[in-house]
Amino acid sequence: MVSLTIDDVKIEVPEGTTVLQAARMSGVEIPTLCDYPHLTPYGGCRLCVVEVEGARLLQPSCTLPVSKGMVVHTNTARVREARKFVLTLLFSERNHFCMYCQVSGGDCELQNAAYEQDMTHWPFQPNWDPYLVDASHQHLVLDHNRCILCRRCVRACGELVGNFTLGVKDRGPESIIIADLDVPWGESTCVSCGTCVQVCPTGAIIDRRSAYLGHEADVERTRSVCIGCSVGCGVELITRDNRLLRIDGDWDAPVNEGILCQIGRFLALDDERERIVTPLVRRNGTLKAATWEDALDYVAGRLKPLAGKKGDGIAALASTRLPVESLYLFKQLFADKLNSEMVTSIEEGVTTALSGKVAQELGRPFEGSLERLKSADCVVAIGVDLAENHQVAGFFVKRALPNGTKLVVIDPYDNQLHELAHYALQPQAGTDYELLLGLMSAIVKSGLSRDEPTNLSELAGYDPQVVSQVTGISADTIRAVARLIASSQRPVFVYGKGVTRASSPEVLSALIELARLVGALTPDQSAIIGTKGQANSLAAYMYGLDKPFEVDGHQAVYLALGDDEPSRRLIKRLKGAPFIAVQASYLSPATEMADVVLPVEMWAEQDGYYLNLAGKLQKAHRALVPPQEVRSNVGVLKALAARLGVELEADWRKSLKKRAPINPVVE
Amino acid sequence: MSLLQEHVLLRHRDIPNIRDIHVYTAHGGYDALRKALNEMQPGEVTDVVKASGLRGRGGAGFPAGVKWSFIPKDVKPVYIVVNADESEPGTFKDRELIEGNPHQVLEGIALCAYAVGAEAAYIYGRGEFRGPFRGLQQAIDQAYEQGFLGENILGTDFSLDVYTHLGAGAYICGEETALLSSLEGKLGQPRNRPPFPAQVGLYGKPTVVNNVETLTNVPPIVRHGAEWYRQFGTEKSTGTKIFCLSGHVVRPGNYELPLGTPLRYLIEECGGGVPGGRKVKAILPAGASAPILPGDKLDLPLDYESVQAAGSMLGSASFIVMDETVDMVWAASKMVHFFKHESCGKCSPCREGTYWMEDVYHRLRDGHARPDDVDLLLSIADQMDGNCFCLLGEFSLSPVRSSIRHFREEYEMRVKRMGIGD
Repeated sequence: MVSLTIDDVKIEVPEGTTVLQAARMSGVEIPTLCDYPHLTPYGGCRLCVVEVEGARLLQPSCTLPVSKGMVVHTNTARVREARKFVLTLLFSERNHFCMYCQVSGGDCELQNAAYEQDMTHWPFQPNWDPYLVDASHQHLVLDHNRCILCRRCVRACGELVGNFTLGVKDRGPESIIIADLDVPWGESTCVSCGTCVQVCPTGAIIDRRSAYLGHEADVERTRSVCIGCSVGCGVELITRDNRLLRIDGDWDAPVNEGILCQIGRFLALDDERERIVTPLVRRNGTLKAATWEDALDYVAGRLKPLAGKKGDGIAALASTRLPVESLYLFKQLFADKLNSEMVTSIEEGVTTALSGKVAQELGRPFEGSLERLKSADCVVAIGVDLAENHQVAGFFVKRALPNGTKLVVIDPYDNQLHELAHYALQPQAGTDYELLLGLMSAIVKSGLSRDEPTNLSELAGYDPQVVSQVTGISADTIRAVARLIASSQRPVFVYGKGVTRASSPEVLSALIELARLVGALTPDQSAIIGTKGQANSLAAYMYGLDKPFEVDGHQAVYLALGDDEPSRRLIKRLKGAPFIAVQASYLSPATEMADVVLPVEMWAEQDGYYLNLAGKLQKAHRALVPPQEVRSNVGVLKALAARLGVELEADWRKSLKKRAPINPVVE
Repeated sequence: MSLLQEHVLLRHRDIPNIRDIHVYTAHGGYDALRKALNEMQPGEVTDVVKASGLRGRGGAGFPAGVKWSFIPKDVKPVYIVVNADESEPGTFKDRELIEGNPHQVLEGIALCAYAVGAEAAYIYGRGEFRGPFRGLQQAIDQAYEQGFLGENILGTDFSLDVYTHLGAGAYICGEETALLSSLEGKLGQPRNRPPFPAQVGLYGKPTVVNNVETLTNVPPIVRHGAEWYRQFGTEKSTGTKIFCLSGHVVRPGNYELPLGTPLRYLIEECGGGVPGGRKVKAILPAGASAPILPGDKLDLPLDYESVQAAGSMLGSASFIVMDETVDMVWAASKMVHFFKHESCGKCSPCREGTYWMEDVYHRLRDGHARPDDVDLLLSIADQMDGNCFCLLGEFSLSPVRSSIRHFREEYEMRVKRMGIGD
């Protein structure tokens, strides 16, 4: 610990802390512009200067490490003069006429800083040169006139997302933020994660949707969980008057630490489907508005006689986007109480069933936490495209690459990570197993294995030379990759649908064996990460909702769709079912086929738990009040159960941990 | 014209074709390296350089041996980066060394690498050095062929690879941390210090960054010893230094002189005085970066301490002489324009301060100056002082402040001629 004095207050802070951080710890506010808590200190804007006793010059507090006995003054006349000068320069640099700017009035850090320094005007001639506005991006607008060149966006793009799309062209006052090699932003390599807009201090980067929808001071912020995929990123839902304006990444969320992907930040807001606001019952061939009483009675009346029937009974399907609570009630109602044999999720366990089987055989969980990705020095991605899905996990990999993390991608098909990989292996389709055994065989031969192989005799037949003929990957490459993985200190294995889609678990078992061989799977912890399907895939598996479904002779189908969109495959299978009840938020081909439609909350309207791909249990919170006649998923299932004379148990937690877990459930 | 019997650095002026390795070795070339590898421990090489008092010739004048001794012993790899981004206006000494006496540069690099335990050295040249670097590469190839570079140099365990790299011609890349960023393929902008390159340098590894001329001094020091070297120069500014002389002199060019030689000798004896017998009005001792010296300072001894005491800096010792025909407001505005053009744009005081200073100079030039514009210039300079990210911003204040200090009446005249234009 280092003790120092800031504005006459003595404090102790850990070594390596900057003066700015130390000041914030002691409750002293120092104005900043280029600094951002989640980015590496930059020292560019010079607004955060302080006076340090004994130093001839003012010091930038954001980059200055504390030292023992330091005496710092953060608000002297000299400091204020210097800050005013910096602001004067910034205001005169480009068009910073606050009254014409959509983010003024509390949302602009430049304006706020000026108020703080009591600025009323600036003495230099303003720069009247107009700068371009790049509005070519689908979600964002880059207005160079408002830019103060703090480069937060550039740093966030590289440091946090690893995308390196944004950069700077030219030098000095001619500096300008560009995308790639100065192409229109909308035509660049931008992945639309929107981290830049979240860190921009002024109105230089704005998002098309929320920029003109009023001031931050009047909004409500609700911390919640994104349910766009199974990563489970923390989000902040920004709403006003029951309207969702914007989604920000939650900097305090342990899973994503503030970053989001396009799906979570922008696409979730772009839902143009038509909302169902009242229960609907089919009468004379058309769906008509009905009361909840009528609709529920109708469903219960059709389901009751089918209880306990096999084959010609009820088929019940749930979306894996439903909260844990709903999935649990759903499973109890249809599997335990009504005794249907066809109770599953619409995802059919494609990302979980195989892993579950392997976990069961092993007798213990074999997957680990997403955290491991952040400290990996070698990532092996097999059968998964992290640039396509689970993008935030992909960002963790991409941003680690400049620091020396090695990436091996194994995928017979096109994979956007191939081009970033140190080794992009494209084995012949269906030869992943041989390749993995080839890698193991090479590792064992090189003497780099950290654990005893259990399948030594089998490995003998998988010499890289032999494997290269099957897989089409040269023996030298196999040996090099083997060496790379085995000599890494913290290798992490990520697998996806390419592995779990298979009919037999042999590839996954081989992957687990490989991980064990290089020390990535010990009895205490695992560095294997399996990407799952939708937000609650894993929870659906835990409740046994993971088997393939066929609607074949079933007299009724109950589809708990929530706000999910039914796949074409699902619609095809529903055809011909004598009775269909759909519990859904939006009109869809499924509701069109339905005999009864029960309107439920969409994701932003519900409270509920989600189990992410690594077994982390997180709660999503209600940010919007649903339309009057819309009920919660849980409410609908409970009401239906009551009508069927069935009692449901509410404690979902206990039951969640019953089945052979793929990874330890962490609250 | 020289005070030296023979050159220590510009040896190609005494020995024709010394750029050829055979000529170089015939005149004692690579003897220092042989001596170091066979007879000296790496630490002893550093000690000799320390004892010689050799100071960095890039501008800052930091003792070279001390810099080397900052390299940690337990972190590998260690890199050597040779700063050949010679961009200071009026500086052209490194270019002559690279073109005329490249093997002495390479031998210096090898000695430095041996002293600090480096196995790779990068020579970073400004983008315009394409021609000189072709010759340098030939010298490197020769040195490899003759076993002075590469693996197991002179049959010892010591190996060294030397790479060359050309920048794209930005002045800022002469700043050592910006140079490192540029060399790594990143935007050429300075980095935070601490950590200093000796701890966290190129690719995050301990790195010695030395100027071409600094390293060229090392072979004679190792060969002849520290005492021999100290016979040149003053107590604190030891050795010889190449002075780049340009501007209003009859014979501009590089002159190697012992440090402490009077300015008058450089201008009058070496440079042949000012053409037409005109008087010296002002001298820039270190290109655009150091404060202007008035013409009455001709008896100033040219060593680091004396020039500093006179209110300026020796820096890279690029002396630009201006005679009485020079309009000092014009001269200062040229320099401010240079710094504005070369500001990297990372920090706001430099990026915008240089912009506004130039703006005021435009007013002065165009006859639109306001009565308080001279004070405005000084106030911008005062505010920028100490608040820029790196020295480029600080350097930009030198011409402004010093020209106003010594030649304020010329500014006042401009202000009085307000509205006239010229």
